[in-house]
Amino acid sequence: MTAPATPAPVLDVWNLTTSFRIEGTWYPAVRGISFALAPNETLALVGESGCGKSMTALSILGLVPTANGRVEADGIMFEGRDLARLSDEEMREVRGNGISMIFQEPMTSLNPVLTIGFQVTEALIYHQNLSRAEAEREALALLDLVKIPSAKSRFREYPHQFSGGMRQRVMIAMALACRPKVILADEPTTALDVTIQAQILALLNELKAETGMSMIFITHNLGVVAALADRVAVMYAGDIVEIASVGELFARPTHPYTEALLRSIPRSDRDTAELHTIPGAVPPIHRMPKGCRFAARCPLAQDICRAMDPPLEPLDPESPHAVRCWVRGGHDLAALTEDANV
Amino acid sequence: MTDQTEALPRGVSRHPFVDQLAKAFRTNKLTWVGAVIFVLIVLVAIAAPLLSPHDPLQQNILHRLKGPGPEFWLGTDAYGRDILSRLLYGARVSLIIGVAAIGSAMVIGSAIGVVAGYYGGKVDLVIMQAMDVLLAFPALILGLIVVAMLGPSMENLIIAISLTAIPPFARIARAPTIVVKERDYIEACRALGYGDLRIMTLHVLPNVLSEILVMGSLWLATAIRVEASLSFIGLGVKPPTASWGGMIREGFENILDNIWLSIFPSLAILLVVFSLNLLGDGLRDAIDPRTRSDA
Amino acid sequence: MSDPLLRVRDLRTHFRVKRGFPNPETVTVRALDEISFEVKRGEAFGLVGESGCGKSTAGRSILRLVEPDSGSIEFDGEDVLRADKARMRALRRRLQIIFQDPYSSLNPRMRIGTALAEPLLVHGIMGKAEAAERVRDLLVEVGLPRDAGIRFPHEFSGGQRQRLGIARALTLNPELIIADEPVSALDVSIQSQILMLLRNLQETHDLSFIFISHDLGVVRYFCQVMAVMYLGRIVEKGPIPRIFDEPLHPYTVMLRDASPVPDPTARKAFERIEGEVPSAINPPSGCHFHPRCKHATELCRKVYPKWMEVDAQRGVACHLYDPASGMSPKP
Repeated sequence: MTAPATPAPVLDVWNLTTSFRIEGTWYPAVRGISFALAPNETLALVGESGCGKSMTALSILGLVPTANGRVEADGIMFEGRDLARLSDEEMREVRGNGISMIFQEPMTSLNPVLTIGFQVTEALIYHQNLSRAEAEREALALLDLVKIPSAKSRFREYPHQFSGGMRQRVMIAMALACRPKVILADEPTTALDVTIQAQILALLNELKAETGMSMIFITHNLGVVAALADRVAVMYAGDIVEIASVGELFARPTHPYTEALLRSIPRSDRDTAELHTIPGAVPPIHRMPKGCRFAARCPLAQDICRAMDPPLEPLDPESPHAVRCWVRGGHDLAALTEDANV
Repeated sequence: MTDQTEALPRGVSRHPFVDQLAKAFRTNKLTWVGAVIFVLIVLVAIAAPLLSPHDPLQQNILHRLKGPGPEFWLGTDAYGRDILSRLLYGARVSLIIGVAAIGSAMVIGSAIGVVAGYYGGKVDLVIMQAMDVLLAFPALILGLIVVAMLGPSMENLIIAISLTAIPPFARIARAPTIVVKERDYIEACRALGYGDLRIMTLHVLPNVLSEILVMGSLWLATAIRVEASLSFIGLGVKPPTASWGGMIREGFENILDNIWLSIFPSLAILLVVFSLNLLGDGLRDAIDPRTRSDA
Repeated sequence: MSDPLLRVRDLRTHFRVKRGFPNPETVTVRALDEISFEVKRGEAFGLVGESGCGKSTAGRSILRLVEPDSGSIEFDGEDVLRADKARMRALRRRLQIIFQDPYSSLNPRMRIGTALAEPLLVHGIMGKAEAAERVRDLLVEVGLPRDAGIRFPHEFSGGQRQRLGIARALTLNPELIIADEPVSALDVSIQSQILMLLRNLQETHDLSFIFISHDLGVVRYFCQVMAVMYLGRIVEKGPIPRIFDEPLHPYTVMLRDASPVPDPTARKAFERIEGEVPSAINPPSGCHFHPRCKHATELCRKVYPKWMEVDAQRGVACHLYDPASGMSPKP
């Protein structure tokens, strides 16, 4: 789990902010987050509903509705291009050929009146300019790759004849159709039963190893994170509050939110005598407090937490483990308080 | 004992129904137009005796078939009666018939629809088949048959129009009932031992009411049109009582001499139907499930 | 130990649905097939399984929200399925339910205070003023402000709505609560709040629970005994944590192994997890689990295994379980 000599990232996000307009005022749902995705790495974005994790993925792909949404970034670098500055036309090309997305709902992401085979074939024709016969052969190979049993005979079946798990496999096949460098998976197993979830996770892990692609895996489930992530970014109210390798994060959760979250999960592998609870709830987007957004729920909160927003900083200059906290982030609190008072 | 969780919103707590109404008026200016025109017409109808410059039934051969002028603003008809006064009184007839017919159709139709939707199965099948038979007749034809059977009078007109409007209300009430009865709170009601009648009236009906009211405003327009049509072919309110449909027919006999006789009541009908449609459309957009918060 | 509070024997609920076009035929969904279990007073009994295994149908059948086809349900010595309308009404005061979806479990057009007072008034337990006071106490008890009763459901968050659902279930002072996935729709931090609340209430009100969930972690935390269901049948039953430490049925093993654990050092290979849950309309012959079971034999494919009592607390339905050695096939 030690970081190798850092290779050039596949995807590099600098200072991404996504805002929404509610009754005339703009509120940030994602607040200036930065992260880099290494080749063949799985980065998990984890957090509770409304923390901005899905919005991050939609922003990267330019899928935030423009009517009431706004994406700003210093850069979303992918293959030497800044995705934040591409035209719609260029973005469409990236969406198919460089980065693809898997959604949570395998029920609604497929067109119910077209056959499975047709939909996968279409994706191939569209993105790879294959002839129909070639595309069909390729589609069948893809369905085999995602382990749909007797794919050949099920090629002409419709989505409703597929179970939820099988539909998610089809979605994965379609996402793979253009041999993407990066897959954005937004809660792809949340709607599935645990045994099916385990199969899909195993499949994603296997495909990642085979194709060398990178993956951003968005989930609220820390168990799933532990099962497949290389690195984890914990999000809270639009901020990344902690980012570390998976081993480090679970062994040494440092942000009070991460720590509390881990302690409030009832575990199936051991007895939990006392469950930790986090009082209160995430403040709504239009009523965010000043200072650290977790302060109101944090047992360690000091005056400075309520006054000033902490930065996301590495625990020590060499460490890839960064935390956004005044108390736990290795800051000299006394000096800071003095500064604030002056 | 437990931590108090989160702050609740401050301020007054409005009924979701009031919220929907407010939204209908806030998001669509045309709703205002419809509502204002309709309310004005209702006020005018109520105040007809005060506003009318003449007795609507007073005949005067000397003043027959006059065009609009200073004494008779909208002119007079073949019997010398004042058109404006007749229009004002005619509004009463149209509105009373429309409101009474649609009101009763709304109550009966919704009851039928909610019962059919709530119980489902054979009850639903029998009731809705019966409704479909009624629905197969166009409103005007069905009204015609009923009035022809019962004889023309205000009461019979109300019955006829009401009968034609019951099936659509049953349909419109049934569809959301089927959705609502699958909600967990209905199951909770049963688990708490409530009777079916209580569940249907207190827990299902309020949740399907918006749809029914929207339908009501749109059908009120239809009812006024049907009333006018029946009066036009002589199956409406008996003369000499003023009614818009009747006035158009009377004017029709002299249309070559004086076009105003038919134009003014036609415009009145147009105005009512138009205002109700604006109002109904505005309300319908506000309760659209895509924009509903409680869906 | 005293007599159990609830005793379910051979409960069966089948649904008949019309399927197919243009010639619809009636097919039977075997949602619940001869399940038996007991819930002791003060106990939290977990009912675990994947979607379509019949665990929710079991809960609703016990409350007679769906009518079971056969079997018996005995609550505190009284036959629930034979109870007439009046008796059933009395029983409903003692048996309550909490739902999964906090957005569908409250009437959106009714003020919370009215909704919570309604059961008290309908059952004639107290007058209006007294009921209003009781509602305020209940709100405080579930962790909401005393004056929340004037509000409508849409003004509450998901977690708060779940508290309201719990308050409603408590109004009539029930003895047994059927909690159908009560925390599945909630975020982790809210989930733990609700679990703590339920546990506190269990102690203060001397409640028993049937706790229906797909989340083994939650069940392990909240329950003392659990039953694993697969395609309408209970395949294994036993006390927690024994059933986690030494599961006897291969499906219990699979479920346990598939459950994600927040510990990257315990990363499991998921290879052993195969296949999907078949349809309850046409369950596989013999043991319903045999198509996904590595150890399936000829016998498993033909005959549904008999229920075997392992000891006073445990039981399993698997041909491969050997009562002599007390061993199941080790995967």
